[in-house]
Amino acid sequence: MNLKLVLKVLGRILLIESASLALPLLVALIYGENPLPFLWSIAITALLGLGLSVLPAQKRFFVREGFVAVGLIWMVTCLLGALPFWFSGYFSSFVDCLFESASGFTTTGASILSNIEALPNGILFWRSFTHWMGGMGVLVLATAVLPSMGIRSHYLTQAETPGPVFSKLVPKQAKTSKILYGIYCALTLLEVACLKLAGMPLYDSFIHAFGTAGTGGFSNRNISVGAYNSMAVDMIIAVFIILFSLNFAVYFLLLTRKFREVLHSDELRFFLLAVAGATVLISVNIYPLYSDLVQTFRYAFFQVCSIISTTGFSTTDWSFWPQFSHLVLIMLMFCGACAGSTGGGMKCSRVLILMRSIRREIHHIIHPRSVEVVTLDGKVVEESTVHSVLTFVGCYLLVILSAALIISLDNFSFSVSFSSALTCVSNVGPGLEAVGPAGNFAAFSPLSKLVMSLCMIIGRLEIFPILVLFSRSTWRRA
Amino acid sequence: MKIVIVGNGKVGFFLAGQMVREAHDVTVVDVREDALRRAADMLDIMVIRGNGVSTDILREAGADGADLLVATTNSDEVNMVCCLIAKNLGTGYTIARIRNPEYTASLAELRQNLKIDMVINPESATAVEISRLLRFPSAANIETFCRGRVELMGFRLQEGDFLVGKPLRTLSTQVKKLSLLFCAAERDGHVSIPNGSFVPQVDDKLYLIGRPNSLDQFFRVLGRYAPKIKQVLVVGGGKVSNYLLHLLDKTDMRIKLVELSEERCRQLHQVYPRVMTICGDGTDQELLESENLSASDAFVALTDQDEDNLIISLYAMQKGLSKIITKCNRQNYAGIARSVGLDSVISPKFITASHILHRVRGMQNSQGSVMNSLHRIADGGAEAMEFTVSPSTRHLGVALKDLRLKSGILIAVIVRGQEIIIPEGSSALCPDDIVIIISRDSGILDLNDIYVEETPAPVSGGGVQ
Repeated sequence: MNLKLVLKVLGRILLIESASLALPLLVALIYGENPLPFLWSIAITALLGLGLSVLPAQKRFFVREGFVAVGLIWMVTCLLGALPFWFSGYFSSFVDCLFESASGFTTTGASILSNIEALPNGILFWRSFTHWMGGMGVLVLATAVLPSMGIRSHYLTQAETPGPVFSKLVPKQAKTSKILYGIYCALTLLEVACLKLAGMPLYDSFIHAFGTAGTGGFSNRNISVGAYNSMAVDMIIAVFIILFSLNFAVYFLLLTRKFREVLHSDELRFFLLAVAGATVLISVNIYPLYSDLVQTFRYAFFQVCSIISTTGFSTTDWSFWPQFSHLVLIMLMFCGACAGSTGGGMKCSRVLILMRSIRREIHHIIHPRSVEVVTLDGKVVEESTVHSVLTFVGCYLLVILSAALIISLDNFSFSVSFSSALTCVSNVGPGLEAVGPAGNFAAFSPLSKLVMSLCMIIGRLEIFPILVLFSRSTWRRA
Repeated sequence: MKIVIVGNGKVGFFLAGQMVREAHDVTVVDVREDALRRAADMLDIMVIRGNGVSTDILREAGADGADLLVATTNSDEVNMVCCLIAKNLGTGYTIARIRNPEYTASLAELRQNLKIDMVINPESATAVEISRLLRFPSAANIETFCRGRVELMGFRLQEGDFLVGKPLRTLSTQVKKLSLLFCAAERDGHVSIPNGSFVPQVDDKLYLIGRPNSLDQFFRVLGRYAPKIKQVLVVGGGKVSNYLLHLLDKTDMRIKLVELSEERCRQLHQVYPRVMTICGDGTDQELLESENLSASDAFVALTDQDEDNLIISLYAMQKGLSKIITKCNRQNYAGIARSVGLDSVISPKFITASHILHRVRGMQNSQGSVMNSLHRIADGGAEAMEFTVSPSTRHLGVALKDLRLKSGILIAVIVRGQEIIIPEGSSALCPDDIVIIISRDSGILDLNDIYVEETPAPVSGGGVQ
């Protein structure tokens, strides 16, 4: 275990984090707010980063180091990301700050704040900006902007990019990261422009664009996107949510004019079908509540997009919707967005592989000698990949159940305990009942909040980097 | 450059690694998932699973816009078809590995009809290398430049050599007047470029560059001038042996070949009636003994098994043979073998990759100084490159002592017309000169890359002059 090199990489990431804190500092200065929380945070993060990045280290870097680095970097990044919140004095405990920061970086969007609008603009900007950085990933950003450290950088980005298989767009990792961030920035700015044209204030446009881009869900309004009560804003955000939950490779294929391959993507079709199907089901279910076809469709469509992409914005308090709609949304939380997107959840491609291997298993029981392969996009999925998908799904459920078990110590109802665990692991944000779209997570005990923060990181990194970090064999010498 | 490599075997993987180090965009295509995973884990490349003869796969790999495609699968036919398809898709340059001797005869037509720009045959290239070593037995390995007018040789110092323990600048005038230069030294796996104060020690491997006859004289002075090799014992009758026999058939060496398969022995004897073919297990010491191994001048181990080759070579070394050539495909074994004293360890993979790399670098130099050839010496720890100086080369006509070169770079030889110059401080480069550069790092692609910019200060040239 080459811990020194891991710490050196961590140091560099912290330097990037401290640099990114300059943006909210600027916002705070523009609005004439107290810049001290940011100055302190920048100083601490930069000092720590500098100290670690000058460590002398050997260049030995293997999968083990890669996984440990990713796990450690995310945990430390979230920890230091909580500093501005802590120094601002609006939070009652450091655990709350940590929860908020983890929720930001992992693009969950769950909050312990009951009155968001009371916070200064600079702090809210940082809160949403963490979504934007965490969405595409801090390590992907690092490989895009930092010169290579001579280490195998794909070990880092691989663990951070969601999906069952990791593939590059172009041969060079640094260039792949640059292309990804290029597309990401362009789409974000496009959304800011659209929202501004739809009548949203510029500051709010940025906040919501960050929330959408990272599929996070922090808003600067207490009742989220519902506060604008504008059809245009709802639709712009819903459409961009869908755009950000697609695999970014799709945009690269479009840019390189390979339209045929885009049409052949099973995952894309499955995702769009799931959105359409869930919208229809919920529309039918909630029609009696609104008795207006356009309104019904508007709320149903927005909520389906918001949940399947694991964003967590809301335009209406859907806790008043019937149970059936709740369960459709819960299923969408499990499913999540496409692989290679900024969204969370199990990812559509994994669900597809899971369903196809279930079908294969059934065929196999009926025809014990049958031999079938699982395919995706017309290509054979490796048996090892199928295996890892099945293991992943199993782990996913186990993590949710164990987290729910610990949270249940707080003695809330089953819906609350379970949905809060699920919403954290899937990086969605709102859950059911007390933690629903209108509620928040303030009432939980510090232990539950810590467990949930950890769950968010576990969910964002797709479980294994964190499990590796806590595995004893990782730290053994031999 | 955008490079597509089809076939991720030993050569493909090694090539991909080298090309990534030289900052090319590399895409590797193979049908084996595990091989691809290993490559993707270790190198910054893109991997695509599929058959290289499929147009879709090649297009996915970006062959339509690639500058170079190297086909190194284990099937000659796949390699050929792959190059043909890639060329039609629009790949700039195609290299195919073709190893079946049956194709060798019609290679010219094949190349033309299938639009293959370069054909590389690892076994044949290896045989060429071995025959060169057999013809110049003094050296552990030899590279030639300028069509054989300059040679680079490596040899290992032994106890009692007059070089040992004295700085190079104190060498006798008898050595100094020879036109040669100590251009690299390898000690404990570390390669350095020696200067006048370098003190050679026993077991160092020194590399000399110069005129062939000067090198010959040097070895005579050193008392290591090995007499010409007359009797060679070759173990293993595979493809390399076939090519080697073909090359040696024209010389006056007597060759004894030991091969396990009787069928193969018959075939070889039919083609090369002068060769004494012995059917038997070449790893059997008794057989080697009965064939009078110790009376041979040279021993060549060419079986399919690296381990067998190494062990019987060690046995031959124990029997006191002075020239032992060992084929060893695994790079990690080669290092161990050298450390126990087997100097001439050659790897077909390494040779193939060097040939291709040399061509790739040559292609990059569409402008600027043209690299004519590249040789990797000292286990890949240093490179010897031959450039032609063009008018666009910087600092033409400036005395070498006034130039500031990057560290680890040596201008070893300047060839001007018929003249071969071992440069001194006052020498200068002129257009149309051919220069041979020794570099400790890979990545010198242009003659202009050797200069440190802006801070002119004298450079200390080293060696014997």
